[in-house]
Amino acid sequence: MERLFCDPRRCVGCRACEIACAVEHTPSKDLFVSVLNRELGPPRRRVQTVGAQPYRVAIGGVVLSLGCHHCDPAPCVDACITGAMHKEDGQTVCDTDKCVGCWMCVMRCPYGAITPKVKAIKCDLCPDRREKVGRSRYACVEACPTEALFAGTFEEFQRVLAEPVTAVWEGRQ
Amino acid sequence: MKKTQRFVIIGASAAGSSAAETLRRYDPTAQITVVSDEKITYSKPLLSYYLAGKLGEEQLFFRAPDFYERLGIERIHARAVGLLPEKSTVELSDGQKLKYDKLLLATGAAPRFPKVEGIHRDGVFGLRKLEDAQGILTRLPKTKRAVVLGGGLVGLKAAEALKERGVDVTVLIDSPHALSQMLDESSARIFERIFEQNGVTIRTKAKPVAVLGTKEKIEGVQIASGEVFPCDLVVVGKGVDPSLELLEGTQIRKDYGVCVDDYLRTSVENIYAAGDVAQARDVLRGEPWINALWPCAVEQGRVAALNMLNKETIYRGSMRMNSVQFFGVPVISAGLAVLTPGPLGGRPGEHDETLEAQPVPGIYRKIFLKDETIVGFVLVGDVEAAGVLRILMERRVTIAPVKDELLELGPDLGRVLPLIIENKERFVEREFQELVHTVGV
Repeated sequence: MERLFCDPRRCVGCRACEIACAVEHTPSKDLFVSVLNRELGPPRRRVQTVGAQPYRVAIGGVVLSLGCHHCDPAPCVDACITGAMHKEDGQTVCDTDKCVGCWMCVMRCPYGAITPKVKAIKCDLCPDRREKVGRSRYACVEACPTEALFAGTFEEFQRVLAEPVTAVWEGRQ
Repeated sequence: MKKTQRFVIIGASAAGSSAAETLRRYDPTAQITVVSDEKITYSKPLLSYYLAGKLGEEQLFFRAPDFYERLGIERIHARAVGLLPEKSTVELSDGQKLKYDKLLLATGAAPRFPKVEGIHRDGVFGLRKLEDAQGILTRLPKTKRAVVLGGGLVGLKAAEALKERGVDVTVLIDSPHALSQMLDESSARIFERIFEQNGVTIRTKAKPVAVLGTKEKIEGVQIASGEVFPCDLVVVGKGVDPSLELLEGTQIRKDYGVCVDDYLRTSVENIYAAGDVAQARDVLRGEPWINALWPCAVEQGRVAALNMLNKETIYRGSMRMNSVQFFGVPVISAGLAVLTPGPLGGRPGEHDETLEAQPVPGIYRKIFLKDETIVGFVLVGDVEAAGVLRILMERRVTIAPVKDELLELGPDLGRVLPLIIENKERFVEREFQELVHTVGV
């Protein structure tokens, strides 16, 4: 199954993925309209700095964008008392109509990838972009200016990690 | 040709359903039978939402109503009344005898009623089964005042629901404070205040001695001091005890619940146990325990099923934890040290350091440490960080390098990722390994 990964060598922590994600999950899907209409919810990915002191120095201020890992088996699915959180073709999806906000999933997700905001809010792999292909398939991937975000299998992502980081920039020129 | 396996599961709630689902996922041809004395499969933790009128009966299903049918699983509505391990047979209340190759006991637990005079009067309810909630709802038009016995999660959720239905509610709690199995005193006081502000009377150190009334009508609850709390309805929320009736006359080893090993096998061959009935590994206590909680039951159901399929899978163990909202204020607590000492509680001296913060009114965080590892925490108002704290606690990671930041951790795993990398052998899940590999580059 295709999942999302972030290459920490390329991530500069610009948070473009966060805003793109929040905008994608508004009715208008437009940054300015969604701000004006106060439609923006929490992002379903978060740019995170790896390590607290003293690690921050040791690892050199690595940042990366993290979201739901769509685990299998998924602790959040086990935890759900309503059946709202469920697996669908390998994806972990929350049916927000069924969610009652008990936050059992928040307690169980070891990645902090679920935001408790009336309903359990998490990465849904952009269902409204199912028809799109390439980098525009996912809002966060499309928005990533340094192509740190990658959609594919982990095996494919490992090949990206094995390449020198400059390859992306060279490809662009 | 491989012989068709016959799996029988007693119980159709969290553990039973999860086991049935797992058995079918890996064995498409097995004969799977689920026996339950309840007609439909519904989510017990949702009963208080149903009682409050927030959910209808049809919204209590945690799996589609045709779940068993669709998976080709036979679901029998009967009570398992006898177990003959030497004949690999279960006897049902309707006279049927079921043969099994592998059996799962997922019989769950039943509400613990205090042994006081009048407790079995008409109008005294638990809140464990749909029929309990329906019984309360039927009486509601005639109910002005209700007394809830027990200040635990179920008792307080019932109190909240009844209050939202317009009933005057008094909660009588034996312990010195509410939620004594879930919260430390100072955290619990926050919720006692919230209940009082919402018009629910909370009385601690109030031990009920009698439910007063006539045959037809409840009149009140008397406590040890002699004081009487008049009411028309009583709800009991004083915890649950594992349902062990089926074990009678068998060699299956039991303690408080059914004893199981790390593969969730009982002491008798081909019989497994999962859920609220199973006394399994507890990662923090170091001795088997029952953490009667939905997520634990689902996980145990799955692990038991994998082992029933001969896919050897170790059960990592559970720990005490819970998540709940009262009057819109969420709280998540986990671990040992938050408990008051007692037969079901923690032991004193289990933590040697407490971190505490109230960054803004309405948000309260408390983390209990022992030897620089997290042994418990309470998050009130803002619960986002619970998952990350919980995994650090469960995997017994030394948090010394991030101790100063722990209270402000938030949901970001990134900040503690170095701790996970350092202890990567304890984070065996594929997703963690991928993350470690990614950052390690």
